Amino acid sequence: MDHMTRINFTSVIFATPDAGVSSETGVWAMQDFYSLRKEVEATSQRVKEIRDSAGLEQLGEELAKLETATASDSFWDDRTSAQQTLLALTDVKDKLNLLKEFQSQIDDAETIVNLTEEMEATDTALLEEAATIVKELNKALDKFELSQLLSGPYDKEGAVINITAGAGGTDAQDWADMLLRMYVRWGERQRYKTRVVEKSMGEEAGIKSATIELEGRYAFGYLSGEKGTHRIVRQSPFNAKGLRQTSFSGIEVMPLLPEDSLNVEIPEEDLQIGFSRAGGSGGQNVNKVETAVRITHIPTGVTVRCTEERSQLANKIKALSRLKAKLLVIAVEQRASEIKQIRGDTVKADWGQQIRNYVFHPYKLVKDVRTGYETTDIVSVMDGELDPFIKAYLRYKYSESMAN
Amino acid sequence: MNLTSLVRTSHITRTFTHSIKPISSSSSVSLSHTPTSLNPKPKTPLYLKPPIYTTSLSSLKKFQKWAKTLSSSVNASFKDSSNLHQELNWLLQDSLQNPNILQTHEENDNLVALRLKLDDLYDLWTQRIEKRRPFQYIVGCEHWRDLILSVEEGVLIPRPETELIVDLVNDVIKGGGENGDLGNGLWVDLGTGSGAIAIGIGRVLGDLGRVVGVDLSDVAVRVASYNVERYNLQDKISIKQGSWFEPLSEFKGQVAGLVSNPPYIPSGHIDGLQPEVGRHEPILALDGGDDGMSDLLHICNGAASMLKSGGFLAFETNGEDHCRFLFDHMETIHKESFCNLKIVPDFAGIQRFVTGFRS
Repeated sequence: MDHMTRINFTSVIFATPDAGVSSETGVWAMQDFYSLRKEVEATSQRVKEIRDSAGLEQLGEELAKLETATASDSFWDDRTSAQQTLLALTDVKDKLNLLKEFQSQIDDAETIVNLTEEMEATDTALLEEAATIVKELNKALDKFELSQLLSGPYDKEGAVINITAGAGGTDAQDWADMLLRMYVRWGERQRYKTRVVEKSMGEEAGIKSATIELEGRYAFGYLSGEKGTHRIVRQSPFNAKGLRQTSFSGIEVMPLLPEDSLNVEIPEEDLQIGFSRAGGSGGQNVNKVETAVRITHIPTGVTVRCTEERSQLANKIKALSRLKAKLLVIAVEQRASEIKQIRGDTVKADWGQQIRNYVFHPYKLVKDVRTGYETTDIVSVMDGELDPFIKAYLRYKYSESMAN
Repeated sequence: MNLTSLVRTSHITRTFTHSIKPISSSSSVSLSHTPTSLNPKPKTPLYLKPPIYTTSLSSLKKFQKWAKTLSSSVNASFKDSSNLHQELNWLLQDSLQNPNILQTHEENDNLVALRLKLDDLYDLWTQRIEKRRPFQYIVGCEHWRDLILSVEEGVLIPRPETELIVDLVNDVIKGGGENGDLGNGLWVDLGTGSGAIAIGIGRVLGDLGRVVGVDLSDVAVRVASYNVERYNLQDKISIKQGSWFEPLSEFKGQVAGLVSNPPYIPSGHIDGLQPEVGRHEPILALDGGDDGMSDLLHICNGAASMLKSGGFLAFETNGEDHCRFLFDHMETIHKESFCNLKIVPDFAGIQRFVTGFRS
């Protein structure tokens, strides 16, 4: 606001169409101005949306409540809860300040635009200032939005994606392979360290299963909504008649948690550990390089498998840490305070839910069942252009959580 | 320096080996040695070789494509017994200084650092597919438990089933109790091969615990000593050359634990083995005589005089009938010597191990 008072009106240069060279710069300046005006309008709308969805009123009420609490005589009787209240108070204040700051920033930019229009003149320095404000504001808004949408306890972690072909043989296995490529491309676009750590090939084509590890900030937050069943409708490339075919693949997403953060103890008797059998008499009779390990958490039925490591013990250790990560995420989803409280019956339903349709034939359409977001540009989607789907889901999840 | 002393010891011992009575007909298979290569150094696993070769990323991708095509040409029984796709990935992982390079979709002429010549990579994969040479010999190592053990032709590739022996020993040591402090005693691994069990046990023993690994084969003695040295366990584990108990006479009655995964495949089954095993692994480590029991029974008979009272034993068998036979044998013939005998299944549910204690 301060800088508005410092506007030097004498420096405003009028666009002068009749003056040779300067007319040219004048035209360019006007074009710049129009695009700036458009940006300011869009950003203003964005600020409004963010302020609305942040629930300013609720925040105000919460602030009042917390302030009353801190003013109470008995406030310091319980030091721990007092600390927590103060932290919550700081959080709410920070958030309100930030929302206020967004508004004042966009007001500044709007004032510059309005002034320029009224004066029918462009002041380059002033317009540059507005452009900077809008640019910085959008960055801050991105950050704020992200922190709102990705506020789950594991959202900022890396992610493990598990792809499993559904029933239906080669068609489903080919579909699983297409999804593998899609997520690898997405990961690379995000500049995440993306590694296919395990891939089990189908008999004719495609894959039976695969595992991708993505290292980088917020990979899990973005991808967590991808878990579920993905359905494809197309003309089968493996069928001479080219009949229309529906196939399914299952996607599971877990956070990639550092070993030391998995301080969860699971009782040995709750685990059922299976190993890939050597076949026949085993032992010295057989030399098999693969040593897959599958672990089932008996109370919930949650299962993980690990085959990518080169020794059985290593596969077992990795499978166990993946199982822990998966159980922790499920616990968060179910708002369970510990793994013991997880309701196994709903896990299967939740994780197997059909979330997206990819129709290649008779028309082209990718549509998310939950958010309703859709696009006909199926080629881009299969090339990893998933951001609109991911953002739509995160917004959907956020508004759902606000509604509850 | 410790390795050289061990190698020297084995060299000396070796001069006596011709006087050792063959343990089975199969030991007549000689490991050919010319005087000049009497003690060749153990092979360095591929992943530890220096990345001194280079090739372009596109040439490497070309190799990968070629290798995949070759893999897909194999017959169904080969496909069932191996995951060639994964083996190829691991081969590349061990060959490249920076294995992540293959994760990109780009194909360019950027140089990639390799630990072997590109031509050798072609050769190795051809050997894998056409000769059925075991993957572990190709990369020169086997990942076993949390260890990466050097292996080469002439030494048995440790099996995942055998990993359990270390767990069984660990349980006994941590169990402590009535059998005294076994974890700080002397342990023996008979027919140590690559040294897998000896090293596995060496890492779970207490500070005073020691392991002696014994093997008849020069190659095994060299490879095991090399593996011991690689894990810097020379002070804890020594490798001796000889037939079963022969190099251990000084330890009679003092051994806290005795474990063995001796040859146990019946001679008649050798021809029908998976090609990777039958054609490439040392028959000395596989052939257990007509019924597969000759070495197990021999070891069993000697164990009573080696172990001290309360000492632990664990033997791996060919499974099921063999396992029950050994168990019955020990319970009847040696009923004065052993107690708490148990049959322990492997991870696939096959009755695989016999464990027990010296009375």
